[in-house]
Amino acid sequence: MINSVRILRNEINTPTVNSLYFHWDVRVEPGQFVMTWVPGLSEIPMSLSLTGKEKCLTVKKYGDTSNALSNVKPGERIFFRGPYGKPFSKVRGKTLLVGGGSGMASLRPLIDQDASGVVAARSSDELLFKGLFPIDKIIVATDDGSEGIKGNIVDALREIELEKYEMIYVCGPERMIKSVVDFVAGRNINMELSLERNMKCGVGICDSCSIDGFQLCTDGPTFGLSTVLTMKEFGRTKLAESGKRIWFQ
Amino acid sequence: MSISDISTSIGNINLSNPFILASGILDENGYTMKRILSEGASAAVTKSIGMEERNGYKPPIVAIDDPIFINAVGLPNPGILNVGEEIKTARESGKPVIGSIFGKDENEFIELAGKMEEYGVSAVELNLSCPHVKGFGSEIGGDPNLVRKIVKGVKGAISKPVWSKLSPNVTNLLDIANAASDSDALVLINTVRGMKIDIYSKKPVLSNKVGGLSGSSIKPVGIRSVYEVKSNMDIPVIGVGGIESGFDAVEYIMAGATAVQIGTAVWKYGRAVFSKVTNELLEFMGSEGYGKIEEFRGIALK
Repeated sequence: MINSVRILRNEINTPTVNSLYFHWDVRVEPGQFVMTWVPGLSEIPMSLSLTGKEKCLTVKKYGDTSNALSNVKPGERIFFRGPYGKPFSKVRGKTLLVGGGSGMASLRPLIDQDASGVVAARSSDELLFKGLFPIDKIIVATDDGSEGIKGNIVDALREIELEKYEMIYVCGPERMIKSVVDFVAGRNINMELSLERNMKCGVGICDSCSIDGFQLCTDGPTFGLSTVLTMKEFGRTKLAESGKRIWFQ
Repeated sequence: MSISDISTSIGNINLSNPFILASGILDENGYTMKRILSEGASAAVTKSIGMEERNGYKPPIVAIDDPIFINAVGLPNPGILNVGEEIKTARESGKPVIGSIFGKDENEFIELAGKMEEYGVSAVELNLSCPHVKGFGSEIGGDPNLVRKIVKGVKGAISKPVWSKLSPNVTNLLDIANAASDSDALVLINTVRGMKIDIYSKKPVLSNKVGGLSGSSIKPVGIRSVYEVKSNMDIPVIGVGGIESGFDAVEYIMAGATAVQIGTAVWKYGRAVFSKVTNELLEFMGSEGYGKIEEFRGIALK
């Protein structure tokens, strides 16, 4: 079924990211997503960036569909189906939220008094939701050094004692997640990762988003570190839109 | 009480149970097919493969309003030359992999079937019935003369069994089934042409507008199709359409099906649907005192 709701406000977060706020009276857990449809264009998977009474979709502009979505005005409708996917596990105790690029969008619902953040982006103006963390609970990294540590997300993680967190939640492009997984492999830490792949159906049948026989849309998008470590395709190879196998550079 | 034997065979292909993964569902990536085969499917049919790489349609490729399920994926495929590795990976399961192919004429079908045979498939399934791509599928599958030529041509060109998947979107199914009678088995049915309009955006949901209806909505059409063909022809039939439980499969088998394929039910139950339907079939056979599937195959035809 397709839900259609009118948005309450459209907030600009960075030059390429907007957040659409709306009411939708359905239970959604952090880490879950909806398939958002722009009639006449296409349909794209999007994590909910707020999961309470007020919901939010955070849009990164990268094509026709996301551009159109980021231009929706208060009072206008958006269309989506879901929620889909396996949410992040809930834990008690200290958590670390690690978001690269627009990855912090799906981690935002996990921000609470026990959470610290690592936010990485290419440059200062692309750092997403860093202001939602207290100043002493956030580490920032930028590729160009315009803010925080000059370097990538792993350079930021080097500064942190990861073992002290009850759970580390990670979201970002697969290449970035691969670098995080390689960095922590063999260490005794609890980590869940939200993966990204081309997605078409969202309901576990089309095989577009599969990785090692798991469907990202139904078995994921969140996976435990131990499962990700068994995946032969992770960070190495995936299928293009046609189903042709391609390799990460 | 002894456990019933649920194995079956289609020609020389032996299956540990009658439940085959249908073409188009979770069968693009070799690792996915391998996982499904290890989790209970007795064989897998690949996504339909053509001569050239194709991206398929833009999303939305599905329109869902439970139990209604309509898809127009648009035959995305990597092209026949790029699919060998996926089939090789799937075959590591040790179970039969069936190569589904689509073409625009007899010559393309023959070339595709030859390649599939090289890749080691156990049979080739001719997609003569995709309901939503112009120039392919049911546009071909609705023409008995073309169907006859394609089936004869492929049969003459390869030594592996040839299955023909037919469309219910025709005036007379028996005409097409007869035209395909050189096949080693008929696969009945593909999806039924359908559409969904969203009343708030006032637009068709599928990017292709028209798609194929599948799932429980079409089970009665599938049962009727299998029954009609088995009442008139002596050819193995594989039943497809709306099978979500072992009991649904029993219905198809009683209509004469040798085996069945499952697709849309993966949406409702995930990959675990294969162990679910297997347990339900065993439960039915146990409670009704059947030791083998042959004991009730086609029993409703008598």
